[in-house]
Amino acid sequence: MEFLRPASWAEALELKAEYPDAVPIQGGTDVMVEINFDLRRPARLLDLNPVAELSRWSTTGGVLRVGAGMTYTSLIRELSADLPGLAQASRTVGSPQIRNRGSVGGNLGAASPAGDSHPPLLAADAEIEVESRARGSRLIPATAFYQGVKRSALAPDELIRAFHVAPATGPQYFSKIGTRNAMVIAVCSFAIALHPRRRAVGTGIGSAAPTPRRAGAAEEYIAAELDWDSRAALDPRVVARFGELVAQAASPIDDVRGTADYRRHALGVLARRTLTWAWHEHMRERTTT
Amino acid sequence: MTTVAARAVGTEADRVEGLEKVTGRARYAFEHPIEDMVYAAPVPSVVARGEVIAVDVAEALTFPGVIDVLWHGNAPKLERVGNAELHVLQSPRVAYRGQYIAVVIAKTLEEAREAALRVGVEYAVERHDVGLRADHPRLYRPERVNPDLPADVQQGDPDTALAAAPVTVDAVYRTPAEHNNPMEPHATVARWDAEGLTLYDSTQGATSLRDAVAPLFGIEPSSVRVIAPHVGGGFGAKGEPHPPVVLAALAARRTGRPVKLAVTRQQMFSVTGYRTPTIQRVRLGAHPDGHLTAIVHDAVEQSSTIHEFAEQTTTPTRIMYAAPNRRTTHRLVRLDVPTPSWMRAPGEAPGMFALESAMDELAAACGLDPIELRIRNEPEVDPETGLPFSSRNLVACLRDGARRFGWADRDPAPGVRRRGRLLIGTGVAASTYPVYRSACQATARAEPGGIFTVRIAAADIGTGARTVLTQIAADVLRVPLGRVRVAIGDSALPRASLAGGSSGTASWGTAVTRACEALRDELDRRGGTPSTGVTVSVDTTEENGEPSRFARHAFGAQFAEVGVDRDTGEARVRRLLGVFAVGRVLNPKTARSQFIGGMTMGLSMALLEESVLDREFGDYLNHDLAQYHVAACADVPAVEAYWVEESDPHLNPMGSKGIGEIGIVGTAAAVANAVHHATGIRVRDLPIRLDKLLT
Ligand SMILES: Cc1cc2nc3c(=O)[nH]c(=O)nc-3n(C[C@H](O)[C@H](O)[C@H](O)COP(=O)(O)OP(=O)(O)OC[C@H]3O[C@@H](n4cnc5c(N)ncnc54)[C@H](O)[C@@H]3O)c2cc1C
Repeated sequence: MEFLRPASWAEALELKAEYPDAVPIQGGTDVMVEINFDLRRPARLLDLNPVAELSRWSTTGGVLRVGAGMTYTSLIRELSADLPGLAQASRTVGSPQIRNRGSVGGNLGAASPAGDSHPPLLAADAEIEVESRARGSRLIPATAFYQGVKRSALAPDELIRAFHVAPATGPQYFSKIGTRNAMVIAVCSFAIALHPRRRAVGTGIGSAAPTPRRAGAAEEYIAAELDWDSRAALDPRVVARFGELVAQAASPIDDVRGTADYRRHALGVLARRTLTWAWHEHMRERTTT
Repeated sequence: MTTVAARAVGTEADRVEGLEKVTGRARYAFEHPIEDMVYAAPVPSVVARGEVIAVDVAEALTFPGVIDVLWHGNAPKLERVGNAELHVLQSPRVAYRGQYIAVVIAKTLEEAREAALRVGVEYAVERHDVGLRADHPRLYRPERVNPDLPADVQQGDPDTALAAAPVTVDAVYRTPAEHNNPMEPHATVARWDAEGLTLYDSTQGATSLRDAVAPLFGIEPSSVRVIAPHVGGGFGAKGEPHPPVVLAALAARRTGRPVKLAVTRQQMFSVTGYRTPTIQRVRLGAHPDGHLTAIVHDAVEQSSTIHEFAEQTTTPTRIMYAAPNRRTTHRLVRLDVPTPSWMRAPGEAPGMFALESAMDELAAACGLDPIELRIRNEPEVDPETGLPFSSRNLVACLRDGARRFGWADRDPAPGVRRRGRLLIGTGVAASTYPVYRSACQATARAEPGGIFTVRIAAADIGTGARTVLTQIAADVLRVPLGRVRVAIGDSALPRASLAGGSSGTASWGTAVTRACEALRDELDRRGGTPSTGVTVSVDTTEENGEPSRFARHAFGAQFAEVGVDRDTGEARVRRLLGVFAVGRVLNPKTARSQFIGGMTMGLSMALLEESVLDREFGDYLNHDLAQYHVAACADVPAVEAYWVEESDPHLNPMGSKGIGEIGIVGTAAAVANAVHHATGIRVRDLPIRLDKLLT
């Protein structure tokens, strides 16, 4: 196995162009497990760790651009205020060791339906910046990024450079169900983001379909039902309907972690719960926004 | 000799090898550096039943680094012993998926593993049967159950008593297959030389492993040496010998080179034993005031087709509660599965889950507090044998636990305590574990400089045994701890029983005591230590052989508080508290670790642990720690362990009962009972998965 260590982003793109079969490695918390279990045997690893820019973030035109190599730990430390949903999700990932190594870029690269960063990225309308030497860079909306179980829109010669997302303008919540309190793959998960200025609601469903996905019908329904101006308390029937629509948007399976029926039920619970949390926060912030 | 007052026993002595362990100097089986070593990678069967009709080793042999490939066609012949699991590579038959059918030996681990994938195996596949059912046509009654107990025991007329009982409970409880999963996987370095075979192995018993391996190779036990100074956990999985150590020895014999074999975590799910799944029916008959008239506990379990391991699931029921009419039975079916073995209180842990859940159901049926119910059924003497108990402080544990836990004001109504979205409940269960002791030998030596060395082939698998034996020796010799060295973990030392059945300290401690007493006498006789030092040896066979006039068991009570999310069914333990009656506690620090470790395993058994069988392929789906969930630290927010004063002169010179396993016994039932109290849902099949708590 060849171990490629580009010193810069440009060099990384060069190497990826030259060796499209090279497997990028950032934190290695997915890649090394797969190699250990002999699930894949890459001829080449492309180590992105030397590319320092990948672990930094910046703001341009009011939009955050977060490097693909930023670890969960640094994201929690530096971006909790701007990306509360993603920060909450990051806190539930693995253990301290995994959060110190694992990155959102790696989560995107793996594109597992159970990846915890996907629901908040979907709910916040994130876009994924990918780039190749041949075709330059492009922005892929999160909704178009996930294409199948562990498959994404990334082309073989492309690398993920960053994700772009507007800082939260309203409440964002993430909730995950697992069989234990740490080191646990989600049985199912859900993220919600309220966008009061646009009077819109974003959602993301995890671990309950072949890909992470949004619950479009639920979003439209609730955006229309919410009393954005008066910020009146939620009608329980509306909350219940929202939960139903979210559950309907899923297409879960039975597996070792839970049954499909359980997942559908639990998603409804998570949807109602996160909506309630988000709306309460929205009501509290009546005077500040 | 200078004497000091006895004082080491009972103190919180630090682990004597603690520094070695935390600095990484302690050597585990895999870490012994040996010249000229080669690596073995086993080839597991990919079918659950059938025959190997051809093994093609040609490709594997062309791989760089490969030294040899062994399979049943070319492996050195082994002698037959009682356990056919150990007849590794001796026959083309496949008895379970994952069974070793070949092994590649190569210069590096990577080369061996790679080549192992290239061994071509052709099977004549037969239809397998891996499903345990209570109505399986091939159920039979084993002759004896582990360790050597009658399969069925009956007193009085339980059927008539049940039919006549005003209050009855009749329920079926299930526990899944579970895997021990010690932190350190099984590993062996095997080397043959002129003296015979040396095994660096991760084992719970150097002597017993030596005695098991020697006859396979047709050699004297004295020609086998097992070295195991440190063991990273065993929980029973390193008690009985398993195929990997034999395979390593076989590979070393054939190649003439030292061979290292480390079992992968995944392979541990087929070749290192596990807890049998159980289907248990418990029937209780009682008066309305809770007094039991009948107890019937029937267990159905499995073993492999090649070796019988019959777990003693219902044996704790024989001694727990008074009832004139009683029956306990075990039925077994031989399936195309790996052979189960000892795991964390085999028998007691699953059996007491059923019995103590049933007692909770009976308490509800009688409208009695579950503690009061147990107190009312406290037997005067051992209900099975009629012998008096050497000491039995279950009631004291229940009462002390109730006080510490805050049981007094408990509202028995299920499903009514809410805290936010959580339903809160509390539960209690009793626990018990038998007192075992085995014969051992030990030597004690005085050096002229005032240093004493005690030698015994005991094992410290993380329990603190080395430390406690040092304390025992220091007190008998009446010297400070720092002047005593205890050598263990090597079959070249005086023979000792293995670390199992919570019997280590009792067995080894007796021998250490007798050796140190004999040495003290010898030094008194000589008026001091001669310039060449002096050594004495003892053997406790005679002392240990004396039959006891008492029924000897440890007891305890566990209390659990759980919170169940009523919408998602997520159950979490908020508090665990155990009180134990275990004779004299020799080192409160290591003892507390044993208790809280045991209770944590019980929590894990209640909520998480389950080896999920793939019926189609006949193996376990979740064969790694990402999918086989063991409780993480975050799942155990508060766990407390206490013990009551118990002075029992009928045990051993230390006055101690075993403490390694009792912590897990009862805990799962306490959690399940608390879940019932929280939600009103009685989960009778473990683990209590979230989808079982949705109504
Ligand atoms: C013990 C343990 C617990 C875990 N718990 C969780 C959990 O709770 N929740 C969760 O979501 N995940 C969990 N994971 C999975 C893993 O930690 C996450 O998916 C993590 O985000 C991966 O990040 P990484 O930087 O380590 O990725 P890597 O392993 O380095 O890479 C992952 C994938 O992304 C690709 N990749 C990485 N960077 C790029 C890039 N810049 N461009 C293109 N492709 C790239 C790699 O080629 C690979 O396919 C756990 C893993 C372990 C081992």
